[in-house]
Amino acid sequence: MLLGCLLLAACTSSGDSDPAQTVEQYLQAKVASDEEAMRPLLCSAMEADLTREASSFAGLGARLENMTCTRDGESNTVTCTGAIVATYGTEESEFPLESYSVVQEDGAWKWCGEAG
Amino acid sequence: MRLRLVQVIVLLTLALILSPTSAQEETPEPASARDTTAYQRVNLFTGPGITFQIIDRIPAGVPITIIARNRSGTWVHIQRENGAGEVYENGWVISGYLNLSPELNFGDVPINDTVGDADADSDMSQLHDLYLVPVIPTISDAMREVYARGQEENRNYPHVITKVGDSITADELYLEPMSQSNYRLGAYQYLEETIRFFGASTSVDSVAARVGMTTYTIFDPAWADNTLCEPRETPLDCEYRRKRPSISFILFGPNDLLRMNDQQFDTQIRLIVENTLAHGIIPVLSTFSYDPGMGLWLQSVNFNRRLVGIAADYEVPIINLWLAARALPEYGLEGDHIHMKHWGTTYLKFDTGNVAFSGASLRNLLTIRTLDEIRNTVILPAENAD
Repeated sequence: MLLGCLLLAACTSSGDSDPAQTVEQYLQAKVASDEEAMRPLLCSAMEADLTREASSFAGLGARLENMTCTRDGESNTVTCTGAIVATYGTEESEFPLESYSVVQEDGAWKWCGEAG
Repeated sequence: MRLRLVQVIVLLTLALILSPTSAQEETPEPASARDTTAYQRVNLFTGPGITFQIIDRIPAGVPITIIARNRSGTWVHIQRENGAGEVYENGWVISGYLNLSPELNFGDVPINDTVGDADADSDMSQLHDLYLVPVIPTISDAMREVYARGQEENRNYPHVITKVGDSITADELYLEPMSQSNYRLGAYQYLEETIRFFGASTSVDSVAARVGMTTYTIFDPAWADNTLCEPRETPLDCEYRRKRPSISFILFGPNDLLRMNDQQFDTQIRLIVENTLAHGIIPVLSTFSYDPGMGLWLQSVNFNRRLVGIAADYEVPIINLWLAARALPEYGLEGDHIHMKHWGTTYLKFDTGNVAFSGASLRNLLTIRTLDEIRNTVILPAENAD
């Protein structure tokens, strides 16, 4: 039983996470301004930017439309299509999704900003 | 009642602000201006507050001399003299009942706080910092150095300006009408050369002014236009790289109020100012108008006070839109209490008094007057020296 639990934990640990899935989860948390959900998905180099990142769409009724993210081969880049759509009053603003950097830290993939 | 009085004071101040020549260009005689009168009969008190003893009533229209004011500017110490120049009346009146002399810059009137201010409360003590900031800034020597560095190191364009902020600033009627030639300036005709000098640059959209923008998102590459900006580039850096302006008009506040406290706002504005200065660009800050009847009023005061403090710390110009808009109906705001009220045309129109009711028109006028100051005191002297 114990062995089974350990195996299950190992299989679901972030070490096996999919970088594209990390980016999708991060973007979902960002449009929801969910700082706690963003924190474990953000790379250490960008920890200082967490508050800014979490505030980016706060109060704007933002949502993701047609998001699809794919890792570029075996690289540390994930490219997404679709857009963030934010509503301000009666006006909608669109923020096209683009390519993002990902890094592996402590065995897990982390979102690390727009790809340069 | 207090609010009403404050509005009257500001109305009088605005009359000075909107006079075609800046008060700073004049040589006021604050303590001896003789042609100030009361526009209705007004009580004369022994001190600055209604709890002081009433000693007389000053009739409307008679000349009085302003000696001093209380710190918040709601009361003034006045005297009346007879034909031989002897003082025969001496006391305090509510400043809102006075027709101030056009030569008088109210901010230059000496402050007398040796007499207890029975009118003071915590609200007013916070506001007095904002009342005393000139609407049109004086340009510091530090900005001449910034401009010179921007020309030398960044090859910024003297004729190019830009704007940074949220929907209030992204509004196509803010500055962009300067690029049209069908303006009607009325008494502000003297601003025409300045409008022509900078006008063309206002026709290009700013990627750093966008609906919903805050002092956080100005540093978020996700908010940069990816058709114009480089990967990982922030909207602010993108705008400064693309346009290489010499002057940047920056207004944040109403959106930020909902998302951060005044310490966080202070930190973010400082980052924007430092980034702008690092590009050799003169940052022109602005206070923002806010309806005291709305929630977050005290927080808006704190934000505006932060802006004033930051401007002083970095010696950068600040337009006191907050003060100027206080005298306008609904504080110059649209029905949403956020955006500046429009004036009904798409071109600059200062000849029919619309700056006295339209916040958007007033803001354009104040911005162009500030541009005029910068052009005359920084850019033209630098060009003439070359």
